[in-house]
Amino acid sequence: VKLGCVVQRYGAGVAGGSERHCREVALRLAASHDVTVLTTCAADYVTWDNELPAGESVDGPVRVRRFPVSRSRRLKRFAELSDEVFDGRAPEDQQEEWFRENGPDCPALLDYLRAEGSRFDLVLFWTFRYAPSFFGVPIVRDRAILLPTAEEDRAVDLGILEPFFQLPAGYLFLTPEEETLVSTRAGRPLRPSAVIGMGLDAAPLAAPAPPPAAPPGPYLLYLGRVDRNKGCETLLEYFLDYASAHEGLSLVLAGPAKMQIPAHPRVRALGHVQDAERDALLQSALALVVPSPFESLSIVLLEAWNRAVPAIVNAHCAVLKGQVRRANGGLHYRSSAEFAEAVEALRRAEGDRRALGAQGLAYVEREYRWPTVMSRVESLLSEVLAARRA
Amino acid sequence: LAADVSVDAVMADVQGRVRERLRLHLVRHGAAAFEDPELFAEVERLLRASVDEGDSHALILPELLGDPASWRLETAMRYGSHRPQASATFVLFVKRRLLMPLFRWLFEYSRDNFERQRRVNQVLFACVQELALENARLRHDIQQRQP
Repeated sequence: VKLGCVVQRYGAGVAGGSERHCREVALRLAASHDVTVLTTCAADYVTWDNELPAGESVDGPVRVRRFPVSRSRRLKRFAELSDEVFDGRAPEDQQEEWFRENGPDCPALLDYLRAEGSRFDLVLFWTFRYAPSFFGVPIVRDRAILLPTAEEDRAVDLGILEPFFQLPAGYLFLTPEEETLVSTRAGRPLRPSAVIGMGLDAAPLAAPAPPPAAPPGPYLLYLGRVDRNKGCETLLEYFLDYASAHEGLSLVLAGPAKMQIPAHPRVRALGHVQDAERDALLQSALALVVPSPFESLSIVLLEAWNRAVPAIVNAHCAVLKGQVRRANGGLHYRSSAEFAEAVEALRRAEGDRRALGAQGLAYVEREYRWPTVMSRVESLLSEVLAARRA
Repeated sequence: LAADVSVDAVMADVQGRVRERLRLHLVRHGAAAFEDPELFAEVERLLRASVDEGDSHALILPELLGDPASWRLETAMRYGSHRPQASATFVLFVKRRLLMPLFRWLFEYSRDNFERQRRVNQVLFACVQELALENARLRHDIQQRQP
């Protein structure tokens, strides 16, 4: 089957959840299909500056076609437009303009889809919020499969998305909560569809030595960008509340800091860490904490479970709470008081903590190994192809 | 290793402890009605359900309030001028390109607070809806039981 994969950025060195998801799936699909990734020359998701060469290249078995972005993102204009559009009263043309300004604005990619899109049996689009998907899906709607990677943020509320979400011929979702969210916005169940998640390889069995950067006692670990939008401000507030009443537990933040981190003897901000240290930190943590209010999957949560480490997650995020309950792999909190009680529950009952971690690992084994994920993807592709040929 | 630990069971314990602490705190500060733990649990359950539903679009009050321009918080800055075309263009330029960059920090501070207020309004809409529903159901039950 000839497959196109449209994504805003692509490459081994490109960080980003949906970009990583696209690459991992494309590489595996290429084992049995003719796969071409259609993407931009951008590497930076803020500016969309052209940094990678345009034209054709290969990434293992995958053909990659890169198209130049016509202009960098106008950040000020985008911020102003976001204010207006998320106010809830913006007309459709202004909402459409938001997608254009969000970018990456890549007319050559859209021209290619217009000219050559019919040569693909199916075209998969990652992430509804970026211009290549928003403007690309309508061009090849009869063969488009959308992976919305939608979160409960303001963008998914835009009225213009109701007709957009009706267009694709099929859907791949990351979690049941994402499927519910997008179906609700579309106003109907979206079929054919499959909930696929993300595949993980088994983690090495041998436990790495505790990392030198880890504090001496038990610690909660946050992995990722330390950012207010990721819920880190609230996490720090809750942790400092907790620390004022309980002794002995530290909070380790491993990731680049995009906000002020309060100086506190039990808060350790490590900045960016290498993969080996990240793995070691995870393996030795009391629990991973995921404070983000917006997630469509949370790969880092799966990575913690892949190492049998339980999690404490923000219950205001339906995806995180749903994942933790399905896996029986951790606890959730809605307030500072619940955060403190959940942490204490894990500290008090080591047997329960280990059991929650083990249950998380069993969930990953059951749902998120690559053969399982790819069989779901393949089933959906076959279903859409059969419907098209009928 | 503890076998088959249920997240829901552990969370029920966690939330039970938090709820009881909150109840005692409220009673200490004058909410005497909450001396009855069962009553408090019922109230808390109902309000929690409303908060959970607060972000949903399935709310009746916004529809009943009518023209959104008359009640909805406007969080975006919209530039306008009552002056004639030429001077209006100049005034809008000054507002947008000179004043706004200077005062953006203040605008963002206000906008963030408006956003919070908007969320609170939404949650209150949901609470009122939940209470109205509960009231309607009780009224219905009472009518059914009447001879």
